[in-house]
Amino acid sequence: MLQKQILEEFQKIVGLENIDDSEVMTNAYSYNWCMEFVNCTEGKEPIPFSSIPKAVLLPSNTEEVQQIVRLCNKYNIQFKAQSTGLGPWNQPSSENCVIIDLRRMNKIIKIDDRSLYAVVEPYVSGAQLQAETMKFGLTVHMPGAGPQVSPLASATSMNGPGFTSPHTGHSARNVLGVEWVLPDGEILRLGSAGMKSNPDWYIGDGPGPSLRGIMRGWAGAKSGIGVFTKVAFKLFPYPCSTKFKLSGNSPNYEFEIPDFMKLYVMDCKSYNYLENVFLKIEEEEISFICSHLSGYGLGAIFSNSIESLMDKIPIAGMQVPLVVLIAARTKREFEYKQKVMSNIIDDFKLENVIGSKYTPNSLFYAEALRSNLGLHGFIATGGFQSSKGQCDTVKVCLKTTKMSIPLKKRYIKKGVIGNDFGEGVWITSYESGHYFHIESPTMFDQTEEKSVTGMAENMEENYQFDLLKHLGAPFFVEGDKMHDLFGPEMMDYHKWLRKIKKAFDPNGIADSGFYINAK
Amino acid sequence: MMQLNEEEYQTMIKRCLRCSICKWIPQVQIKSQKYATACPAIDLYNFHPYSGGGKIILALALEMGRIKPSKDLRDIVYKCTECGNCAIACKFLGTLEPLEIIMRLREKLVKAGCGPMPAQEEYIKAVREFNNPYKEPHANRTDWLPKDIKIDHSAKVLYYIGCTSSYRRKEMAIAAARIMNKAGIPFNILQDEEFCCGSPILRTGELDTFKQVLNRNLDVIESKDIETIVFSCAGCYDTFKVDYPLYRNYNFEVLHTVEFFDKLLEDGKIKLTEKIPIKVTYHDPCHLGRNAERYEEWEGDVVQILPLITIDVPPKPKRTGKRGIYDAPRNILKRIPGLTLVEMERIREYAYCCGAGGGVKSAFPEMALNTAKLRIEEAEDTGAEVIVSACPFCSTNLKEGIDSRESDLKYYDISELMLMAMGLEPEKLKWLLSEVV
Repeated sequence: MLQKQILEEFQKIVGLENIDDSEVMTNAYSYNWCMEFVNCTEGKEPIPFSSIPKAVLLPSNTEEVQQIVRLCNKYNIQFKAQSTGLGPWNQPSSENCVIIDLRRMNKIIKIDDRSLYAVVEPYVSGAQLQAETMKFGLTVHMPGAGPQVSPLASATSMNGPGFTSPHTGHSARNVLGVEWVLPDGEILRLGSAGMKSNPDWYIGDGPGPSLRGIMRGWAGAKSGIGVFTKVAFKLFPYPCSTKFKLSGNSPNYEFEIPDFMKLYVMDCKSYNYLENVFLKIEEEEISFICSHLSGYGLGAIFSNSIESLMDKIPIAGMQVPLVVLIAARTKREFEYKQKVMSNIIDDFKLENVIGSKYTPNSLFYAEALRSNLGLHGFIATGGFQSSKGQCDTVKVCLKTTKMSIPLKKRYIKKGVIGNDFGEGVWITSYESGHYFHIESPTMFDQTEEKSVTGMAENMEENYQFDLLKHLGAPFFVEGDKMHDLFGPEMMDYHKWLRKIKKAFDPNGIADSGFYINAK
Repeated sequence: MMQLNEEEYQTMIKRCLRCSICKWIPQVQIKSQKYATACPAIDLYNFHPYSGGGKIILALALEMGRIKPSKDLRDIVYKCTECGNCAIACKFLGTLEPLEIIMRLREKLVKAGCGPMPAQEEYIKAVREFNNPYKEPHANRTDWLPKDIKIDHSAKVLYYIGCTSSYRRKEMAIAAARIMNKAGIPFNILQDEEFCCGSPILRTGELDTFKQVLNRNLDVIESKDIETIVFSCAGCYDTFKVDYPLYRNYNFEVLHTVEFFDKLLEDGKIKLTEKIPIKVTYHDPCHLGRNAERYEEWEGDVVQILPLITIDVPPKPKRTGKRGIYDAPRNILKRIPGLTLVEMERIREYAYCCGAGGGVKSAFPEMALNTAKLRIEEAEDTGAEVIVSACPFCSTNLKEGIDSRESDLKYYDISELMLMAMGLEPEKLKWLLSEVV
């Protein structure tokens, strides 16, 4: 709870109904997905609750955020900002912290359909923005966490691969202008949004040196470097007709598949072969989705329950599957893409099983277009988290995949993580195959302590393994412990990160439990 | 019958991913930013615990002793219309039952002496004393009944009017009765033996009184030779159809008037002949739509197929709203000559709630009204002149929403429109057409 006088000062900023420091509210905000194994890795009790915040605030605009941050500085109280709030990164790392829930900041400021960018506030969800951009024949990149999360959070503060990445890129690469409340309360606008005359949002760099790298670096600061209140990011052509017609009832909707879409699922049999196929397809720049999943993962994206997953054994038995979805706006474009795929299939002697051995429900195509496939990872145990998480060449990503199988199998044998035969990875390409992303989704049961502690051990051993084998920084390299582990092996980047933190947050007011402390 | 048992409750409350899917309609159904949301409570109060997932967290925090039953907790848990939209969204891919968890959480608060809300206690007391939550004299229960309506005391069809239609929305009861008379369907009513169905009590978690009400109602009905009960109240219908069998089985058929009338139209026993050239949008009541889906019997095994991975053999049926009553009312509207049906963005199993349910109308009238205004705005955006529904509770609340927004929309129950289309209310039809055309 806050001292009465401080509470009253916060109330003046956001209004009585938009702040709550009750036991009920603060406890509810101390819960999050995966907190149980995060607690475990920190030697705490494996429960899904973090430190309890002092209060939760709901500002409605940038000025209110600025005033909250200034008040935090005045009283030496930390803040943690969150938008849609999924994951432990949204949690306070100490009890001297208030949560700034940005839910009331939910406006789409602008959709520029000529310059292909949108400007949004934190609580606009990916699905909301996409629904509006579809009216202009455009789409937006959404991370694998799903269309219900905030694209602003992904672009400014998190990692950001998604199933449609071959077409829509990576959150870090899509971000343009940004409005940013720094940890001392100053408001900074990056890129063209910061120009004194005719400010606009169309470019992320300049005038002057770019700060985009400082703003988010590899995986974002998770509010550890301030609060992002507006962001502009790139939009992309919607890959086919925007006519989106569903019938029936949830969850078994029938989707009227647009005219020019075709799905390919091929077994590359070996990782070496997959590398060549991956690169060839991406070199041709024809895919909307181009992902490698394990057999289990493949079955999961076509299933809406664990029971229905059992029907997918014919495809789940594939050794090294590759999923490619092509989509086009015109018949000519579609014929071209099909022809290219046909040549690749012939050249590499592959077989597309779609239509012959397996035909997915039409809903799969709807979920692919609306970026809902990542959420299928939860259907088996309800809990999963990813170890790994590199962005690198396909060769390195596949090397990681192969080398990690024995380690994962060891934990599967212990019975603490779900059995995906050790092969459970997801790899997607970006930017014509110039780089790829790999992560290793790992299923665990958050209701069983043995599974939670086993998952935590698995994650920690993976980090050590990645370091030992030079496999790069994982997805969730965050917090002092992780940065201190990986920094010395990676050109001492952690020292620079600390300098940034110190320069931007001299009072240490932005909670950095999932970023880095200046020390 | 399958409903969440205590063991399942204890496991399920540990499984929320805090993904916020419950705040939205199914992601693939989102058509605009404006009408993407699913839950009135989180839409109006913003703090996460007001959402379905947030209430699951509260349930866990309570079980773990991190929080205690309190007024703060009670107010959040009861600021929920129990519309179940969160559950539809969650079960698109998930396995949680947010609505059932909220209902169980209310039961636990009642047992802990921390629920229901004072206004709800008041109407529960009224049901005990007056047999209706409105404190209306029981003797006046049939005041709605016009003298020219024919009641057949030996009929196998029973029309169960319900408290709201009996005392507050009499036009619905009259319309339903006239339609059945015109169709030549003999029907009976319970007269002074009709009591509250118990729905408003059940929704608060006060199970003891609910069970007493349920048993008395079934005793009365089973003492008569009834084959079918027809309801024009979606709340009574849902309670009889879905909730009663969880406690006591019965041997009669349960139908809502829209199902009954749709069949009569199909069989040619009713003719809709009068032109009503208006644009209409239809609001799916939660109790008639997604929640009007019975729990299915399930007998099987939970089989561990791999470490940590279990499946239900055979698959356990999920209540996903697919067996709600959506087509019957639309079929009726489409049969009215000249009428154009235009749909809102949130319909069928993911329809937005009117705001009246779950005891909210009495305990938090401002929440009920603000939710109704949101729904009316959505109806206005379709360009419709009339909003139609099939529930007296929705009727009352949506009408208040119309008044409060000073909206040009008119509200009618579907049976009233039918009556006009059957040529039985020419004056009302003339007035309606002069108002909207």
